[in-house]
Amino acid sequence: MSTATMDGAAEGEHHDETAGKAREAFRGITRDVAWVAEAPKPHKAWLGALTIAVAMLGVGVYSIYVLVTTGIGVWGNSNTVGWAWDITNFVWWIGIGHAGTLISAVLFLTRQSWRVSINRAAEAMTIFAVMCALLFPLLHTGRPWFAWWMLPHPNDMGMWPQFRSPLMWDVFAVSTYATTSILFWYMGLVPDLATFRDRFAMKGDKLKAIIYGTLSLGWRGSARQWHRYERAYLILAGLATPLVFSVHSVVSFDFATSQLPGWHTTIFPPYFVAGAIFSGFAMVLTLMLPLRHLFNLQHIIKESHVEAMCKIMLATGMMVGLAYGTELFIAWYSGNLYEKFAFANRAFGPFWWSYFAMVSCNVLVPQAFWFKKIRQSPIIIFVLCIFINIGMWFERFVIIATSLARSFLPANWSYYTPTRYDVGLFVGTLGMFFTLFLLFFRYVPVIAMSEVKGAMPEAHAGGKKDKH
Amino acid sequence: MSTLQKTLHPDEKIKAGKIGQTMSKAGIGLAVVFLGISIILTLVGSADTSHGHESKWARFFHAYVIGWSYIFTLSLGMLWIIILHYLVRGRWLTAVRRIAEAMTGAFPIIFIAGLGFIIPLLAGYKDLYYWAHPDAHNHELNHHLLHKLGWLSPTFFALRYVIYGIGFSALAAYFAKKSRQQDESGDPKISETLRIASAPAMILFALLTCMVAFDIAMSIAPKWFSTIYGVAFWGSGCVGSFAALALLVLAIQRSGRLTHSINAEHYHDIGKWMFAFTFFWAYTAFSQFMLQWYGNMPEETHWYKYRLFGEWQWVSIAILVGYWAFPFVFLLSRWTKRIVPALVFFAVWQLVFHWLDLYWNIMPSYDWGVVYHEGARIVSGPLTGNPDLHHVGFSPVDITVWIGLVGLWAAGVGMSLKGNLIPVKDPTLPLSLAHEVQ
Amino acid sequence: MSNAHDNHDHDVEPTSYPDGELYGVLAEYDTPGELIDAARKVRDAGYTEFDCYSPFPVHGIDEAMGIKRTILPLIVFGGGATGLLGGLFLQWWMNAYNWPWNIAGKPSWSIPANVPIMFEATILFSVFASFFGMWILNKLPQVWHPFFRADRFAKVTDDAFILGIEAKDKRFEHQATVKLLKDAGALAVEDVHLEGDPARRNMPKWITAFIVASTAFALIPFAIAAKARNSHSSSPHIHIFPDMDFQPKYKSDVAMDLFPDGRANRGEINGTIARGSLNADDTYYRGIENNAWTTGFPKQLEINDATMKRGQNRFNIYCAPCHGFDGQGHGTVAQRVLASGGSAFLPANLVGAGGSAVMMPNGQLFNTISNGFNTMLGYANQIPHADRWAIVLYVRALQRSQHATIEDVPPEQRGSLR
Repeated sequence: MSTATMDGAAEGEHHDETAGKAREAFRGITRDVAWVAEAPKPHKAWLGALTIAVAMLGVGVYSIYVLVTTGIGVWGNSNTVGWAWDITNFVWWIGIGHAGTLISAVLFLTRQSWRVSINRAAEAMTIFAVMCALLFPLLHTGRPWFAWWMLPHPNDMGMWPQFRSPLMWDVFAVSTYATTSILFWYMGLVPDLATFRDRFAMKGDKLKAIIYGTLSLGWRGSARQWHRYERAYLILAGLATPLVFSVHSVVSFDFATSQLPGWHTTIFPPYFVAGAIFSGFAMVLTLMLPLRHLFNLQHIIKESHVEAMCKIMLATGMMVGLAYGTELFIAWYSGNLYEKFAFANRAFGPFWWSYFAMVSCNVLVPQAFWFKKIRQSPIIIFVLCIFINIGMWFERFVIIATSLARSFLPANWSYYTPTRYDVGLFVGTLGMFFTLFLLFFRYVPVIAMSEVKGAMPEAHAGGKKDKH
Repeated sequence: MSTLQKTLHPDEKIKAGKIGQTMSKAGIGLAVVFLGISIILTLVGSADTSHGHESKWARFFHAYVIGWSYIFTLSLGMLWIIILHYLVRGRWLTAVRRIAEAMTGAFPIIFIAGLGFIIPLLAGYKDLYYWAHPDAHNHELNHHLLHKLGWLSPTFFALRYVIYGIGFSALAAYFAKKSRQQDESGDPKISETLRIASAPAMILFALLTCMVAFDIAMSIAPKWFSTIYGVAFWGSGCVGSFAALALLVLAIQRSGRLTHSINAEHYHDIGKWMFAFTFFWAYTAFSQFMLQWYGNMPEETHWYKYRLFGEWQWVSIAILVGYWAFPFVFLLSRWTKRIVPALVFFAVWQLVFHWLDLYWNIMPSYDWGVVYHEGARIVSGPLTGNPDLHHVGFSPVDITVWIGLVGLWAAGVGMSLKGNLIPVKDPTLPLSLAHEVQ
Repeated sequence: MSNAHDNHDHDVEPTSYPDGELYGVLAEYDTPGELIDAARKVRDAGYTEFDCYSPFPVHGIDEAMGIKRTILPLIVFGGGATGLLGGLFLQWWMNAYNWPWNIAGKPSWSIPANVPIMFEATILFSVFASFFGMWILNKLPQVWHPFFRADRFAKVTDDAFILGIEAKDKRFEHQATVKLLKDAGALAVEDVHLEGDPARRNMPKWITAFIVASTAFALIPFAIAAKARNSHSSSPHIHIFPDMDFQPKYKSDVAMDLFPDGRANRGEINGTIARGSLNADDTYYRGIENNAWTTGFPKQLEINDATMKRGQNRFNIYCAPCHGFDGQGHGTVAQRVLASGGSAFLPANLVGAGGSAVMMPNGQLFNTISNGFNTMLGYANQIPHADRWAIVLYVRALQRSQHATIEDVPPEQRGSLR
């Protein structure tokens, strides 16, 4: 250690009460975010939520155990509805993950500075959502222990994966997405982990200092390093944006490349992307609204940020609505008997109730966001966001189940009912998601401190010359 | 996030002066000359009965629809960015927004020009849109067309056209008018009004754009359909629109106006939008192609078969390489967007390829098959033949009509280029003038 | 902001470690703007071994310090190009070249179907290039930096703006450098020394050992997998989830104790014939007509050139090895029997005048082909009925050919005889 004392009174230092205002603001950010991790005992509400989440996770673990040891027969899937809750959930979770990348990457590219309050939590949400999503394609294969065959490797059968299949495109797209999300999230974390390292080091908590220190790679805030870091951040944001579009487009290709009426339509890629952003933002708000209230983060995650997110939901909800309208119009315009039937069947067939849920939750509910009073009421927004997520779940269910249950040949028509293991697995993924998110909230810097500081007006304080 | 501000340079020339009139005169001159040449070429030519057309004007009208779609999209993208700019409280656009507004001011002229094919349609012209041809009602041949002939009838079509014309012109006029109002008062409430209006305006914009695409461009091949067509049409249109903005801004600066206000930062942003939409168009066009190729359903693939085999093969490759690959690779770099000659090169390039894309979309449907059924000669409409025997060929009218219509568009823009060329009292102008790209 | 969360109760007094030589000086500034100004001054004074430290990237400091634009974008472009071409090559080689197979009639090399993966591979490799490239260019992870010896430095990640100049800089002169920093508005300037005890300058041995050991440990599963894939085993597979691996059904030719004869094969049921096996037509299937060998040919047989050629073809395959191509019984099998000293069981001469093969009716010939004679085994299992009749037809032609006269040759072909 140097010869300076703890309060920094080295030679030449002067104590000036008026100076340091900017630094006071920065310190405030550090404290307000770090105390969540530094509090010796976790908040009661956090413990309560974690208990519930772990219980739900337990239900999921049991469902997986039964599924893997017995087989897909424990689900309700059967001819002709070969995909049901499994793929609905897969698309639902991936869609939710997209909002995180959008907040991180696209809002960064479009210079929306308000993103800095929520981007860290949103990116974490993406990673956890993708983890939940990946469970479904893995488990729905029936023999998930063979999943490694999806990656090309030399074998004595001379066999290679069938890359022309959208299901293989999914493998590459979602794994690229998972990798990129994790790397982007981690990269953003490093400076904040360094903050935690230094705080725990100052407090004398050696173990935590070593852990955070290892994870922060020795970061020291050097301007030369920031330069390359920022460039990499911009590049990753620039890469993540087309990636978000491509991943959900590839997911939509799972359906659109087929020949099923209701599935085979060219608007699926942008329509799925818009829907993903829609449901993702709803999930971000579902998480952030209670947490910002419980942990007093309202001055960082501001009301104006929440309002902006409501408007984005309104916009993407309208895009989804436009896609619904276009599909209906073209179904009539095409003159294809099966296509026309598929859409009539959605509204009046055996799954009419799910179509009703979808339209009311996706088209009608977001209309509430036209009203400023609603946009400023966290409780109402929270409730509406849950409905939106329910609506988006039903959208995928409607697409999958109605087209499969009523396809070309009436003799093959069937119905689908979920079993307890379908529901259990879904509940389990919700549990896994919330468990991971709650753990993240407690142990990882939940707001991007360095980015918030950089976005504050105090970041430009001082200096003799005007910038330009 | 920068809050840097800058005020208008005191010596800045912001008045349009004669530039609008010069542009209008040049535009009208171009239109008269090139449309005149087109008419003469058509008059001395003969009917293309081998392609199923009895009238000699069929080629002219097909080229006219392509040219019309072209000039429509040039203004479309600007209307979109203006509405978006207000919607998200944008900043960078303000310095060039008045020029963009002038481009949207061409909508009335665009829709009046469009009457050049709408009125003949109403008068019974049958060699442009197949659904207007009596043989479209043939039960054996056109079973799948019959149900939509109520929707695709000249009267209903024309009525919708009028609605589109009113809609786009009104939207453009509203935003332009309010913007000019703000020049006098500097009232920030006007920005707020426009921001509130921009949300329903965007919804109306989206609906109208999709319908224009489905009606004017997609129904040229009435048996084909694609739900993403509206989105792809808009995406491709924005490429051309931003390219045109870059060139128009440059022209205005070359005339000595706005030389201090608009700099490399603004060009960079225009270039970024050009790049983004080049990519977005490629994404929608690829989605449409790949999904219809993969599904392999003849009712959809016949549209692509025509364009990927035979003589259109080279046009398809040219569009892939020229409209997407080449600009994409080079517009990735900052420098192509900041160095004005480079940006100009790509703007001109994309303007040409945007036309080629519309040409590729619409002109292959020019070839109408003819069949003999129970002794009668029946015109079977576009995309019903063997792609190897299909031959549309090239006609100089394709180019002359295009240039003539661009001239009309330029005239329309010129008429709106008056008064202040920059929104002098817009509250976001200082931010826009100091704008810096990261 | 309240100080409620700024609890220093558990802060520990630092232990003193001896100092070594001077590493550099640190100057702390109040605001980002002042840091930029200071950086500009330091750069203008000719220093190169200096850096600024801040809790967030300070806008404008790159120009002030003279930091050149990083080459990272080029690395990323390289990564992306690798991904694009790699993805293309991967799919072409695996699906179109090495193991092409027909899926839904799509071309083996389907570029439209290959685009999504090429796109994702481009992005993935670009991401790797960007992420790892950035850390490598930044020389991170870095276990230690001498400036961390200063307590002040810990505040860089919180709220401090620090400029550090290394002593090894050519222009470094302690007094002048400190004065330069102070004149630029430093709140405080502090010396930082290297670790005095040389033993403490290196990574503790136990950490190095831990890293080496855990890396070695982490490679064990891969080693096991590599060994397993390159060796053979005669033990049965491990069935973690048996699923339908062991099916409660009987396969062919296994034992089964349910039936007295202990076999799973049940054979034909008495009084039944499998469909298609009735073969009621005696003449065609057995060569018998009216309880005697048929002398003609069954009506199903078309007597024409094609049948004759077929018969020749089949004869040459099945009969010629023993009976010879000319039917005289000098086939290669016969020659081998003779060469090895045997003579008792020679193939018959099918064409010799007055021989049994010449005298016997067609049906009997057919029967011999089907069921054999003496040491000749029956060929019923190898030659279908129609082919057997074709062989009979050919044998008759062979027999005639061996005793033919010039009149038997068509006039137009007599010229080709020598």
